[in-house]
Amino acid sequence: MSSPATQLRTRIAPLIGGPAVERARLRVVPRRAPQRTRVPFVFLVTLVLLGGVVGLLLFNTSMQQAAFATTALEDQAATLAARQQTLEMEIDTLRDPQRLAQQAQQMGMVVSGTPAYLDLETRQVLGEPSAATAEQGLRLLPRPEPKPAVLDPEPVVKEVRQVIGEGPTAGSLDDLPDAESPLGGRPVTRDRD
Amino acid sequence: MPSDSRTPRPGRPRKPRGSLRGSPLFRLRFGFLAIAMVLSVFGARLVQLQGIDPKAYAEMAAAEGIVDVSLPAKRGDILDRNGEPLARSVEGLRIVADPLLTTDQAPELAKFLANRLDVDYFSLLPRLREEGSRYEYVARRVPSTVATRVVDEAADRGFKGLFTERDPVRDYPAHDVAANLVGFMGIDKPLAGFEQTFDGLLAGTDGSARYQVGGGNRLPLGDNTVVEPVDGQDITTTLDQDLQWYTQRVLRQAVEDARGDSGFAVVMDTRTGELLALADHPTFDAADPAASDATDRGSRAMSDVYEPGSVQKVLTVAGLLDAGLATPETRLRVPSELRRDGRVINDWFPHDELKLTLAGVIAKSSNIGTVTAADSFRRGQLRRYLTDFGLGSTTDIGVRAEAAGVLPAAALWSSLVDDRVAFGQSMSVNAVQMAAAVNTIANGGVHVDPSLIQGSATTDDGAEVGTDVASTHRVVSAKAARGTAQMMERVLDPEGGTAPGAAVPGYRVAGKTGTAQRVGDECACYDGTFTVSFAGFAPADDPRFTVYVVVQNPRNGGGGGSVGGPAFSKIMSYALKRYGVPPTGTKPSKLPLEW
Repeated sequence: MSSPATQLRTRIAPLIGGPAVERARLRVVPRRAPQRTRVPFVFLVTLVLLGGVVGLLLFNTSMQQAAFATTALEDQAATLAARQQTLEMEIDTLRDPQRLAQQAQQMGMVVSGTPAYLDLETRQVLGEPSAATAEQGLRLLPRPEPKPAVLDPEPVVKEVRQVIGEGPTAGSLDDLPDAESPLGGRPVTRDRD
Repeated sequence: MPSDSRTPRPGRPRKPRGSLRGSPLFRLRFGFLAIAMVLSVFGARLVQLQGIDPKAYAEMAAAEGIVDVSLPAKRGDILDRNGEPLARSVEGLRIVADPLLTTDQAPELAKFLANRLDVDYFSLLPRLREEGSRYEYVARRVPSTVATRVVDEAADRGFKGLFTERDPVRDYPAHDVAANLVGFMGIDKPLAGFEQTFDGLLAGTDGSARYQVGGGNRLPLGDNTVVEPVDGQDITTTLDQDLQWYTQRVLRQAVEDARGDSGFAVVMDTRTGELLALADHPTFDAADPAASDATDRGSRAMSDVYEPGSVQKVLTVAGLLDAGLATPETRLRVPSELRRDGRVINDWFPHDELKLTLAGVIAKSSNIGTVTAADSFRRGQLRRYLTDFGLGSTTDIGVRAEAAGVLPAAALWSSLVDDRVAFGQSMSVNAVQMAAAVNTIANGGVHVDPSLIQGSATTDDGAEVGTDVASTHRVVSAKAARGTAQMMERVLDPEGGTAPGAAVPGYRVAGKTGTAQRVGDECACYDGTFTVSFAGFAPADDPRFTVYVVVQNPRNGGGGGSVGGPAFSKIMSYALKRYGVPPTGTKPSKLPLEW
């Protein structure tokens, strides 16, 4: 503090307003009050930190939960959409005009005849109404393909004369022990004519 | 502590602790050495990771838990005019096996799957045992409920190695209805019909998604990129599913009863040119195309050209009326045969000289009368009319493999050709062309382009088709069209006409029969077979529909009137009923046929 400037200042000081200089001089400030406890602040910071961490954890958990829910719901949505489409496909199959027509025909329905139109303005009946008849039925299925001759041979007609004494005749079959039971579905003729 | 070692307590000899740890200098050096060795190992590993192959590990780390899936676009539906699906896509799954896991139980699993899905045991078994493979198809395009049920059931029974993936199913609910037009899909690409022609519109663009998963769930804050798929557009046709079905059944019955080779039928809305039905026989089931002949899977109505025969006479007389060269009452002397350029033209029925009006020529379908009347055309005039009617050029309605037919070139148009074309030989058409030409008469002389697609759509070769781009142009005057329609009504006359069987009770119907010599497949000449047809419209004085029925090579000796007529009547009657068209209630045409 004994630099030339200080010396200069002390020398000049009395000349320019001494009390002002005296007031501006730096002094050690006495401690005003005993230091307040830091506990609340630390507690607050800890609380904020803890809250943040716990909040983040909860947020994260809820997000994970949401992800699980999303996956489950997406699966469900996909399954339901698929189910809907399959059902629509079934409806379309049921609405197939061919199928409807076949069912209608099995119930004895035929394509309608010509209708009559009633004109309310002119009070006229237009058209020649005709009843639906069986002849109007439409052939719904293709005709079966004609089979090649090999698979569809001409019926073989043989004239059979009765020969007695050769092979099992109706009479000899009657002597079989269990005559009442059907003989394996084989027709047995009892007619001797 | 060191003092401890320096002054050992007497009586209790203790090993100096310093000897156990070694000298500080030694410990220091040993420690440094150990640390240096460990660090140099780390260093070497660092160089290896960062310097030599930095990417591989980064990728392995990234791939862990990342899922890459493709999001298939939904293929657009093909609908009829009322929104009923002719072809639709249904959510489906493919079932895939991992042979590494299925090998052990292959026979049991194959039996299980063959019993529940449409798969063959013997072709499935080797796939389930395929060595070195981890991905084999079991079944494709299975409706997802079925696939899920089967895979779940398999898991319950302890079968391992089955999983499912998305795989949309293409369904054709109406089977053969409009199958020749709609076409069908192969395993991965369209193979025919609209499916192929409009694939660009129907297909859409697949999307993709890439995200991180943990335990099967998407990680909330993980990597997540989704490119949404763009679904394909629906295509709405002008067809009416029920009418199309009915037309197909009537046509089949007509072709079968006539023991013909094939046939086609067209139902057209007179005013708009929309095709309500375009039927082919033989046809196929779009849901099972492999069961049919490849030749039956296209549209014969568009690709098989044929000589139209007498139906053509309608166009000839419409031209005559328009040019003012004749009226329906024009009197013609029809000899029993006509000699032209050394060839003889006959009528289909033997007769002495007849005194017919032009109406009578149409009603009785006289070739000689038509040729005589057409003589008054100037050179090239008939050809111009026919070109205006749309013959000789494609209709471009969006059906594949359309054949334009042949109208002889002007340079080759000799007087013999002129005579023959007048009654519909020496030229060829396709069924839709011819229907549109006859429809011109029905529509008061204005030709409307036929169309099959509502709105507009772009085909695979870039053409715009549909009702939006259909145009109209006048071919003959309204008076000429009306006169022609009145003459055509006489065709159904119970006494003088050729096709009383085509009548629809209560309605005025105009029509024309056609029985044309047919060029055979083998000899490329007239081989004695015929094309029989009937074209007509109703109600004759205010037409709503034009129906055209063609049967190729009938073997029952029938002509256009007896084969095509009844089929026409059924289809027309159904269409009029379906669309609630009342009879006009006016008096039918009584034009004189003879004089």
